Order: sequence, then C-alpha cells, then structure tokens
Amino acid sequence: MLILMAWRNIWRNKRRSLITSFSVALGVFLAVTFTASGDYGYTNIINTSAAMGYGHVTIEPKGYNNAPSLDKVIPKADLIRSRVIDADGVVSASVKISGQAMFATASRSIGGAFLAVYPDQEGAAENIFIRSIIEGELFDGPDGIGVVIGQKMAEKLDLKIGKKLIYTMTDINGEIVGQIARVTGIYKTGVDDVDSSMVILPIDRVRKTLGYEEGDATMISIFSDDSRRSLSIRDSLRDSIDGSSLDILTWQETQADIAGMITVDRTMNYLSQLLFGVLIAAGILNTMLMSVLEQKREFGVMLAVGLPPWRLFLLVVVESLIIGVIGLILGIIITTPWYIYMSRTGIDLGGLMEEGTDVGGVLLDTVMKFRLYKESAIAILAGVFSLTILAGLYPAYKAGRIPPVESIKEI
Amino acid sequence: MGDNVIVLEGVSKVYSQGKIDVKAVNNLSLEIERGEFAVLCGPSGSGKTTVLNMIGGLDIPTSGRIILEWKELSTLSGTELAKIRRDRIGFVFQAYNLVPVLTAFENAEFVLALQNVPKDERREKVMAILEEVGLKGLEDRRPDELSGGQQQRVAIARAIVSEPAIILADEPTANVDSVTAESLITLMEELNKEKGITFLFSTHDQRVISRGRRIIRLRDGALDLE
Repeated sequence: MLILMAWRNIWRNKRRSLITSFSVALGVFLAVTFTASGDYGYTNIINTSAAMGYGHVTIEPKGYNNAPSLDKVIPKADLIRSRVIDADGVVSASVKISGQAMFATASRSIGGAFLAVYPDQEGAAENIFIRSIIEGELFDGPDGIGVVIGQKMAEKLDLKIGKKLIYTMTDINGEIVGQIARVTGIYKTGVDDVDSSMVILPIDRVRKTLGYEEGDATMISIFSDDSRRSLSIRDSLRDSIDGSSLDILTWQETQADIAGMITVDRTMNYLSQLLFGVLIAAGILNTMLMSVLEQKREFGVMLAVGLPPWRLFLLVVVESLIIGVIGLILGIIITTPWYIYMSRTGIDLGGLMEEGTDVGGVLLDTVMKFRLYKESAIAILAGVFSLTILAGLYPAYKAGRIPPVESIKEI
Repeated sequence: MGDNVIVLEGVSKVYSQGKIDVKAVNNLSLEIERGEFAVLCGPSGSGKTTVLNMIGGLDIPTSGRIILEWKELSTLSGTELAKIRRDRIGFVFQAYNLVPVLTAFENAEFVLALQNVPKDERREKVMAILEEVGLKGLEDRRPDELSGGQQQRVAIARAIVSEPAIILADEPTANVDSVTAESLITLMEELNKEKGITFLFSTHDQRVISRGRRIIRLRDGALDLE
C-alpha cells in the first residue's frame, strides 16, 4: 500500500513531478555525456600513448624508466616475451630497443630517438607509427637496412622513399657506432615533435650495431584489450617473472605525465557532475518538501490512526525514489539515441582545435566520441539513486516528525 | 476499575501562549465504560477536543493519568502509542480526514493493512463494513468523488474496521447537512447497540447531544455537569 500511495502522491501534481523527473533525466544525459566522452577520450589517449612504444605494461631493465640508457639491457627478452604473451589479459607483446640517435644525410643531420622492432611483432593496432605510414611501407625483416621515418624528419633531411640515411648511436661500450639505412616508409602522426624525431629501425640490425647479444632488448611492450587491466597484468607478471633485474610498470608509471593529466581532467569531470547532481538534488528536495507540506494534514491523520513515523519516512523516501526512477527511465530514453550517434559517428571538433594538438606527445583525436564502461554506467545509476534518496531524506525526516494533533487541526 | 475502557485521573493540560499559560483541561477525572455512547459537550474552548486528543494519545497531559484498558498512556513510548492508536482506538474527525489518493475501500482498509492483516481477510472485512455503513458500490471512489456524508461514513468504516476498544469522534456532524447528520448519528448508534462499540463524542451539536446516553458537560476544562 505504501508504494501505491507513493505512486499516486507523485501524480497529484503531475507538472511538478514531471519537471523534477525531467531534471533527473537531464542529469542522466549530462552524466552520460561527460562520463562517456571521458571514457572514450581517456581510453583513446592511453591506447595511442601505449602504441607509441611502451604498451599498457612495460618490462624494462631496472632503473631504465628514470634513467634510460642503452647499456641497460633485458637479457633474453625474446624468451621473456614468449612467456608473457600467454598471460591472462595480454593480447600482444613486442620486444623493442629504444634510445637516442643522430640521423644524417650527406648534407644534413638531426637528433632524434629510435624504436627498434621486429616487423612481425608490430601490428597497426599496437604501433602508431606503422598505422600512420602515409608513404612506402614497413621494412621486411629484423635484420634489413630499412627504416621508417616521420614526415617532418623527411622534410628536414630532404629524404624520400629509397633514399639513404645514416644513424649513429652510443653502443654498449660507450663507443659511437653507426649504420647506413634506406628509407622504406614515411609516417605522419600529426604531432610535429614526434614526426621530426622518431625513427623505426629493424631490431637485429640495431642489436648488432650496439653490440647486444641475440635476444637482448631495452623493453617488452605488453598490450591488453582493456587498458584498465594494466594493474592486474602488471601484478600477475610480477608474480610470474623473476623481476630482480627488471621493472614491470604500467602505463601510469611509464607515462606519468599523461596519467597525471587524465587524473586531473577526470577529477574536474567528476566535480562538474557532482555540481550538476547537487543542483538536481536541490530540485528534488524542493519538490519533496512542497509535497510534504501539502500532505501535512493527511500525514497527521495517518500518524493519528497508527502509522508508525518510520513508515511515513519510508513513504516520502519511496516517493523520492520513484521520481528518480522515472527520471532515470526518461534519461535513458533521451540519452540512448544521443549515445548511439556519438559512439558511432561522433562530432568532429577539428575546426575548433589546432592541427596536431597533443598531450605529452600524444595526438588528441579531433572527433569526440562516446564510450561508456560498464562500471561508469553503474556509477551513474548508483549516483542517481543515491542523490534521489539523499534528497528525499530531509523531507522524509520532516514528515516523520509532523505532530498529528496540530496537523489535523489545520484545514 | 470495573469494565472501564478509559479512566482519567486528575488530568490537566496547560498550553503556553507566549508568556501566558492557558489551562485547557483542569483536573479532570472521568471514566468511560465499555459499550457507552457518551457525549462530551460544552462551549467552544471548554476543552472537549483536548480531552479527546489526550485520550487518543495524540496529546500528552501536563499532569494526571489517562488509562486505556489498564495501560497508562503517559508511560508508553511513541511507537507503543502508535500501536495503541492503530489497534485500540478509532478516530472520526470533523473534516473526515481521508487520504485523498486512496479509494473508499483503501481508506477503510488502511488500518488493517498497518496491522498486517492478510489481504483476503482485509477485503472481506472492509466490504462487510462498507456495506454496513451504506457505501456498497462506492468502494472504488476516491474521497473527492464522494459527498461529505459519504466521506464521513468512510471515516467511520475506517474507525470501526479494526474493532477498536473505543471510537473517539470529534465533531463528526459539524461539516454535514442535518439530514446527513441524522443518518450518521443513527449509524453510530446502531453500531454501538449492535456491536457494542464504545463511542465518545466531542460535540456541541444538539442532535448528537440529544441522542447521547451519557452527557458529560465541560466548562473551562473542568467537569461542569453530568
């Protein structure tokens, strides 16, 4: 009977209840918009950042992250990779050597960085440079003389596909060593700093140049289908791999600046949502207080005929909750087409953003899209329910404290 | 104490109005026996409603004792008082005071639902009571679809359906026309005679007073004449 009464009470003032429910629906719409754009945007940045070399989880020589150096080596990295690849949550892993080098042609030279890779371990999904190749292709084997350079470097060094490039680096003994390479591909990520400095090299050729043993590398990049699993993958790898000479780090540790930016942005996002939530809760509170005031007399009667105050309290909370549920349903109805459109098509913000806008060297996607993680959807649901219940508590408390003898007298 | 439903012993009630204390009830002692059809009467401000409210556990005496079926009300907690009101007291108010979102049936059913009486039993009892008070066929109507007299009949049905020890009726005929008032008094009289339900009225309606089998007159919060 309590739920029936609560339901009927709500419709005593249809307009007010509907306006309040629509404000809840608006809250759902905004919460989904903010959260889903965040979930998509953060995931995109994390995955792009991972595809720039480190992966979601990285195995490195001890201390490499703080002081990278080519004399810090993972011995038998290929062997470790073969064990890692089957770990739970891992979709791919690749062995790499990363470091600094000078790149020169006959007339010009430029400082930069390199990633030495196995071509067969690098897919377009896990390597942004490969998927950004705009001319030519990735070199064939790990021991060839092929090289992939960025478009800006190609411009600066006046290089084209098939042209020669000399790279020099410091080997494991501290000696300056060099190799001749031939450009097989040119990529363009859109971030000038990256496109003018990062070069992709074949790993075996680099090993020989640096004096590494077969199978040595400076990092193993591990990719998951879900960046949120990084921590669990790292922990399970720490348990399964002898880590005395290795660091196993998540993307938050290897890309601390990006992780920090995401944390700050996400916190601001949550604060904005909280503010909207408080405003919506104030609307519900107002509606419920008005409702309690209007029903004061009958609440007094119900208390007089024996309704315990806690059940009256519950009645008002249930009324508030029903408004929340109606708002939630309306919110889902309003938000679903918007979410489908935004998750499939999105809005191109290219006109509002400067070309090549990046965060910590990671190119920002100009198309705003949505992706809502299950836990985010649950958080929104829980938030709406919590706010509606919280907003109903004070009016419910007031209702439970109505003195029957006075309210009955009021006509 | 005999078969007293209600016993008042030296009950006083003082209200503070600013700096002035107003004595609404002054050292009132009274006994109501089971099956009585008693009327509290007196001029406005004589303390009738205050006495009824205190007997119903809606108001607390400043001093004195009120005993309902061997239980002293002042010793009971709020929850216990709510339970007493639910199980042992029926209220009929001047302004009907039905729950507007509930139908006649649901209003009459309300107290039984609070008592967790099974649904089938509730339905049987409520339908019987509504027929008894002359509302057969009007069960599904909401209060705003009923006349004043019909609403008061629903209120009476709600009051008697749980078979309480006493019905406290505060000016039950004040808001209805004379014909309806007569029929309501007759209805309550019949319920008293046939079912032995104890009624205590607060009224200054001569029609009610004339039908009362015991008249208790109050003046300035004290017993004036019986």
